[in-house]
Amino acid sequence: MITCLGDVFFPEVGVAMVRLLRRLGVEVDFPEAQTCCGMPLFNSGYHRDAAQVAARTVKLFEDAPHVIVPSGSCAWMVKAEYPGLLKHDPALRAAAESLARRTRELSQFLVEVLGITKIESPFHGKVTYHDSCHLLRGLGESASPRALLRGVPGVELVELPGADQCCGFGGSFSVRLPEVSTAILDKKLANVEATGARCLVACDAGCLMQMGGGLTRRGSAVKAVHLAQVLAGELPA
Amino acid sequence: MAARAEFLERIRREVAKTPGLFEAEPAPRPAPPSAAAETIRRELAERWPQALDRFREEFERVAGVFHRAPRFTAVPAVIAAIARERGARRLITWDPVALGFDVAPALAREGLTVAVARAGQEDETSRQRHREEAARAEVGVTGADFVLAETGTLVLLSGSGRPRSTSLLPDVHVAVFGRDRLLETLEQMGVMLEALHVEPDRAMSGAMITFITGPSRTADIELTLTRGVHGPKEVHVVFVEAP
Amino acid sequence: MSDTALRTPFPERAGAALKDAFLQEALKIATTKFIDLRKESFAGFPQGEALRDRARAIKEATLQHLDVHLERLADNVERLGGTVHWATTAEEAREIVLRLCRDRGVRMAVKSKSMATEEIDLNEALEHAGVTPVETDLGEYIIQLAHEKPSHIIAPAIHKTKGQVAELFSRELRGEFPADPEVLTAVARKALREKFLQADMGITGANFAIAETGTVVLVTNEGNGRMVTSLPRIHVALMGIEKVIPSMSDLVVFLAILARSATGQKLSSYTTLVRGPRRVGELEGPEEFHLILLDNGRSRQIASTLREALYCLRCGACLNVCPVYRQIGGHAYGYTYPGPIGILLTAMLKGNESVRELAHASSLCGACKDVCPVRIDIPRMLIELREHLDRERIAPWSERLAFKAFRRLLLSPGAFRLTARAGRWLQLPFVREGRLRGLPLLFSSWTRTRDLPPVAARTFRELWKELR
Repeated sequence: MITCLGDVFFPEVGVAMVRLLRRLGVEVDFPEAQTCCGMPLFNSGYHRDAAQVAARTVKLFEDAPHVIVPSGSCAWMVKAEYPGLLKHDPALRAAAESLARRTRELSQFLVEVLGITKIESPFHGKVTYHDSCHLLRGLGESASPRALLRGVPGVELVELPGADQCCGFGGSFSVRLPEVSTAILDKKLANVEATGARCLVACDAGCLMQMGGGLTRRGSAVKAVHLAQVLAGELPA
Repeated sequence: MAARAEFLERIRREVAKTPGLFEAEPAPRPAPPSAAAETIRRELAERWPQALDRFREEFERVAGVFHRAPRFTAVPAVIAAIARERGARRLITWDPVALGFDVAPALAREGLTVAVARAGQEDETSRQRHREEAARAEVGVTGADFVLAETGTLVLLSGSGRPRSTSLLPDVHVAVFGRDRLLETLEQMGVMLEALHVEPDRAMSGAMITFITGPSRTADIELTLTRGVHGPKEVHVVFVEAP
Repeated sequence: MSDTALRTPFPERAGAALKDAFLQEALKIATTKFIDLRKESFAGFPQGEALRDRARAIKEATLQHLDVHLERLADNVERLGGTVHWATTAEEAREIVLRLCRDRGVRMAVKSKSMATEEIDLNEALEHAGVTPVETDLGEYIIQLAHEKPSHIIAPAIHKTKGQVAELFSRELRGEFPADPEVLTAVARKALREKFLQADMGITGANFAIAETGTVVLVTNEGNGRMVTSLPRIHVALMGIEKVIPSMSDLVVFLAILARSATGQKLSSYTTLVRGPRRVGELEGPEEFHLILLDNGRSRQIASTLREALYCLRCGACLNVCPVYRQIGGHAYGYTYPGPIGILLTAMLKGNESVRELAHASSLCGACKDVCPVRIDIPRMLIELREHLDRERIAPWSERLAFKAFRRLLLSPGAFRLTARAGRWLQLPFVREGRLRGLPLLFSSWTRTRDLPPVAARTFRELWKELR
């Protein structure tokens, strides 16, 4: 599951992920009719609309033994919210529960299903990691991404102060309350720059859009990248 | 009464609409409380030295000042020293029955003025006089009905001869207690509270129970901690060693 | 908050708070301190997690028989010689207090900190009726003198510098006081001591009320809670109906985690258990005890979306960790209760319409749920509130239109592809150095302060043809 933001704005992340998985011996397919998990609709309260998107998504992935998502919030949406959204239709609900079990965010898949934490990657340099809210609190995951980063020989992982604090994205929050969103972002980026890291790594497209957009706007030398890009050794220009 | 019936009926209706969010039980009750309280007392009769050590640690952590006296007759000297160090001359104490002993004569011999809140004098004139004395006193001396090690807390029951303000109005509060008052945990205090309320009017002569954990404090101005906002600036205990 | 203030849209109020340099610094220091204190306290308290589960269970269990517990509480209070009053609305609650003041010739009332009395705007009503209310909690005293509202549930004057407090005291108390918290505290102690001794009535809230014994429990640090319930001849406690708990055994579960969650203390300096008016044989204590049970919209939520919000202990932990609260402080929210739980409580008390903007004052990060001592799932309820705003058509039609259009896009991969392609063309004038800047309309909210990545020259879907 590539995610809407991944498809349109960060295709290089999807490409890196696919190449990485293939290198690790995983057969990868991409149901082309997918669009989005529907989380923006859900978070803003448009639940009937979100349910329609969920129903469609559930059918699209019903044959996949594993669904891998390079985004913590989308994985959370599928695992935590799809069954509830589709609760009125028993068949759809069962399908949603099945999909929830088969879906994982990328780092979870690598560590839990493939049992891998050491990945050979040409990446060199100091990185710092941001815990996206839905991956951290929604899916309870903070160890796998860090383990994977430490597993790359050339990576020096510096802990980010306030790593568990929100970046200020929050979906539509970022444009409904842009000043507050930016104020929260500024605090985050001050911490990031203070680490001296070359790259800021995260596992969520929304966070990367917000933090990346802030970093380039202030002319920072720090690059916001996705975990998949570090592991695949495919950094943006 | 219509207001009450309507009010409760509305709530009843809402409660009936839903089974709630999940199956849930309130806290389990010690049954019977007095037996559970007795068990705790027996345990503490053995473990009081550890409880005392822990209490001292926690009490000092919240800025309490710990003193000891070998026996009750040695207590007035400790109190007098506390008063002298602070240039305090006026004290107020609980009734000797509530304290367990009479401090007033010994303190008076040290040149201190001691007001005593005597039980059984609750007419309007006495109330007025007591209020004035309490407001003027610089040191208040009480007992402690329970002493909680886990949190460094003194628990005081109000009542006849044991007024509320003795541990509240003066700048300095001194509580005197022996080993039989010690408890280890808040949970044990819960059992004691249950036991006290089986027949509350027999167990307690007053309407207030106060837990005191250190001096009065606030950080309301720029988060700077200051003590002695409305209640005492200092809390002292005198542990009487003799059983 | 006055209605005029509320007519300023929330984003503007938030914007003003962001520009207030002192507020920003004060918020950063205070919230960081509270976060650290709470973390440290729970780190050294392994039983804490299990106790939080138990506390939540007690709250839920109590709600399931709320009427029974309230009835028991009332019977016990009355048996002790207290009087119980039943206030369905804020107006009724105010009326009850005013009537008591009239009938008993009350001219001055000292108040211990009570969010419930703020909720019903009691002070204003008392003043209009010629009764002087005196706030005695130091933070509340400060803001009362300053004619302001509290900006944090447990540290109401967090937004004031010591210099401002010194100036305020010097002006209102006619003296010359330095900007020294110790001195200022002593000034307040002296000024308020007089009031405690002269007041006719003491007014408090209640952190808990124990149904089985008729006891009202106050958790405080300053000692004003004790003064107010022992010195004046009348004690009035105003209490939300959700504060009742069954027994003393339940009480100690909450006491074990409440102060830790609020300030990192094991216990607050004072926990006061009040069982009715003074007894025969007591030299001190009120002759009369009145308990006012307040509904004000709470019962409506028992079977509804915001039920869990009734568990709230008013500890303020969620405020301290909320990225939004930490940036804008309490006043910007515009209502009595700020922060994450404040949005829910406001909806409960004033209706969904009142939170049409506030329901979105959250990035749904979930930090609040992490720290709540009774594990209230605030993000879930915020999403459900947003759902109500859609269902009840309270959200603006332009927004609803946009989201419905978005849904159509998501249901049709063809439309999705086309829109991406269109975006690739439309964005051309705005691409600078490989980033999108200066976008118009809605997108300008983003690009004013942040770059956007451009729509990729080839989307993943298009690249897949080669990857496959």
